[in-house]
Amino acid sequence: MSDQTAALPAPPSRIRWTSLAETLTPLLLALVAAGVVLVIAGHNPFEVYWLLAVESFGGTRRIAATLAASTPLILTGLATAAAFRAGAFNVGVEGCVFVGGLAAAWVGFSFTGLPAVVLVPFALAAAVIVGALWMLVPGILKARLDVDEVVTTLMLNFIAISLTAYLVNGPLLAPGSANSATPMVAEAARLPKLMPPSTLNAGFLIAIALLILYWWWSNRTALGYETRIAGMNPRFATASGIDVPSLIIRMMLISGAIGGIAGGIHALGTVGRFVSGFSPGYGFTGIAVALLGRGSAIGILLAAILFGALTTSGATIQLFSDVPIEIVNILQGMVMIFAVARFGWIFARRRRA
Amino acid sequence: MSASLDPSIRLGAQGVTRRFGALVANDRIDFRATRGSIHAIVGGNGAGKSTLMRILQGMDRPDEGVVIIDGAPTVFLGPADAFEKGVGMVHQEFMLVPGLTLLENLVLAHEPAGAFGTIDRAKALEAARDLERQAGVKLDWDTPEEDAPIHVRQIVEILRLLYRGADVLILDEPTAVLAPAQVRELIALLKKLRDEGRTILFISHKLDEVLALADQITVLRNGKVVASLPRGEADKPELARLMIGEILARTEPRTGTVGETVLSVDGLTAHDARGRVGLSGMSLGVRKGEIVGIAGVAGNGQDELAAALIGLGRVSAGRITLAGVDITGLDLARRRALGLSYLSPDRAAEGLCLAAPIADNAIAGHHRRADLCRRGVLRRGAIRQHVEALLDRYLVKRASSALPASSLSGGNQQKVAVARELDGDPKFMLACQPTRGVDIRGIAFIHQCLIDFRDRGGAVLLISEELDELITLSDRIVVLYDGRVTGEATRGSAGIEQIGRLMLGGGRA
Repeated sequence: MSDQTAALPAPPSRIRWTSLAETLTPLLLALVAAGVVLVIAGHNPFEVYWLLAVESFGGTRRIAATLAASTPLILTGLATAAAFRAGAFNVGVEGCVFVGGLAAAWVGFSFTGLPAVVLVPFALAAAVIVGALWMLVPGILKARLDVDEVVTTLMLNFIAISLTAYLVNGPLLAPGSANSATPMVAEAARLPKLMPPSTLNAGFLIAIALLILYWWWSNRTALGYETRIAGMNPRFATASGIDVPSLIIRMMLISGAIGGIAGGIHALGTVGRFVSGFSPGYGFTGIAVALLGRGSAIGILLAAILFGALTTSGATIQLFSDVPIEIVNILQGMVMIFAVARFGWIFARRRRA
Repeated sequence: MSASLDPSIRLGAQGVTRRFGALVANDRIDFRATRGSIHAIVGGNGAGKSTLMRILQGMDRPDEGVVIIDGAPTVFLGPADAFEKGVGMVHQEFMLVPGLTLLENLVLAHEPAGAFGTIDRAKALEAARDLERQAGVKLDWDTPEEDAPIHVRQIVEILRLLYRGADVLILDEPTAVLAPAQVRELIALLKKLRDEGRTILFISHKLDEVLALADQITVLRNGKVVASLPRGEADKPELARLMIGEILARTEPRTGTVGETVLSVDGLTAHDARGRVGLSGMSLGVRKGEIVGIAGVAGNGQDELAAALIGLGRVSAGRITLAGVDITGLDLARRRALGLSYLSPDRAAEGLCLAAPIADNAIAGHHRRADLCRRGVLRRGAIRQHVEALLDRYLVKRASSALPASSLSGGNQQKVAVARELDGDPKFMLACQPTRGVDIRGIAFIHQCLIDFRDRGGAVLLISEELDELITLSDRIVVLYDGRVTGEATRGSAGIEQIGRLMLGGGRA
């Protein structure tokens, strides 16, 4: 049958415009609000924004830096979106980044004799498994006992951060090191750099591949369909014979696995080992990425690049102007607030329905 | 009118009319509850009781007419204003706070103050004892709310209104949650309160209780007062006749023959979410080519029966068989695979996913069927063709199947649900309130769909609050009262008149 190639009728363009507007609105509002702050601080907002744009995207090297900064955010955004699709608000991706990062680093510095083709998949598989297991308990509690996953996953973050900090200060501390860090991983465990000397590495390609897989899965598979329906209306899904609790557990595991990969890629690709304070809040920024990207693959990519751009340009902007880095942090915070505000609006609407 | 100025009328209504669009929920309603009496308001579903109650407690305002307080026309500014004038309401869902004791719940928001802003427990207990005496009950006030049995919570709810100064109590279906012994206790309590000089407005459709309790009975039907009579002049058959009215429905002619039993329910006992027995030892059979209607006032076990049939109920005894297979322990996916389909009574929350595209709604439950899905991957072209053909067949008016289901009118939304549930030739359909909120043309269409399904050999169990609908469609009507089958009438038999009486607890046919 030739049915595989046929496409569903395109929705009227009205829908696409509203969804685009809904995605861009938080960004525009944030630019306006941060602009007010800039004016008060005595800066020309247009100049600052232009400078930010140039520092993020002006030239191959800067683009590479932006994409490198986006890589962990694509993955943490994807991890959050995967759980959210099933109706679970997983705020524990940060914890998965920590435990996944440590797992990958441990494999990377322990099995030094293995060739890269074995060692890299092995290390990433360890990150996947540990990340997924980290979300097993909150998933089961949510699905079977209706325990609020926001509370359990948030608390698990603190456990993950403290547990990994203990391990790198004790059992896994690099010999002779005073810092809270593991030994460096074997050279064979490092992810190849795509554009040296930029830190952009093969992890970016993995992130893009996962995004494409997620898009295909959510739009083309029966499981993706069931997950979407269950996330939008669990009662309807149940009445249609869909096992919603087991879907929630499954998506929490997948979310944890992707969070683990984010940590693994950060360890093998960028840092080269696991250190205490490993993630500067990638998991939390991932929540904003998922919300701003409205859970769609392309939306997550664009939102991650936006936050990646703010990170890289923020680091350099102080060098070339008198604009303090805090301004960039304010802008980042504004985008998050407006993205979350939109999310709150969706939530209120759902409760009314 | 001079009668309305009679100060012995503690609470009443004069010409109260309330419209919602074309629907007249209350049509020139008059009634008078005198001080120190129990006044019952009875009526079937949709008779206008809830609208009237909302008006009487200040939650809604009439379009025309007035509420009467102490013989004088009054406009309530809101529930707080109504309460100020002594009118308090006991809701079906209690407004008590878990985690607090019964005593704390009693005095909540009006705590007797002690030193330094503390609660004066002795004073609170004294007030509680005083209320106990007035109501003729005895309570353990230190029990946490969540540990108190349901009838105790209800008593606390009533006493709380008294504590806060209400002397008119409106009770909305207060016995719905109670066991028979507790009902007798409640009746005694309400009579005691009346004898103390309070005025009680009692909304119910259980005629035994109404006759045991009320001094005056007002009957509503289709938003109008059809009778108001003192208890001495009322009896059960007469009240039932007044509530049901004349039945205008015409039974559809039928073709096809009835075959073997498809669904059988044996000795089913099931509980509701609060643990109350909703069905006790109920048995029922539905045969091929037959529509069996379940008649009954809401809350007599219909919800528990539906939940048990789709595998979401709390069944403690009994057996459900579908086409010879015991499905009692199976989940809904397996039941559906065996040929069960389910038309939900709650279209917006359960029957459809309004935020999802129409196409997604049309395939739910069928989405893993071999013609729509191969090895877990959706066959998009086949799905599109299938959905368009299905929706065309059921005359669903739509701009595009990719639009969310919320873009459809109510009738077309329900047609999507009906189309989906009749798709794939199920053996048995559980149809709950199939035409709720659907316009007349939509109703006729959906009825025809169910009849065609039956004539093709389908078995239908129809649960509906619309007596007309039951009579129009059903080959047999089974009456459910208090979780049991209390009677049965077949098509064309003279039993139809009895159904109304049986629905209201009028004894065995």
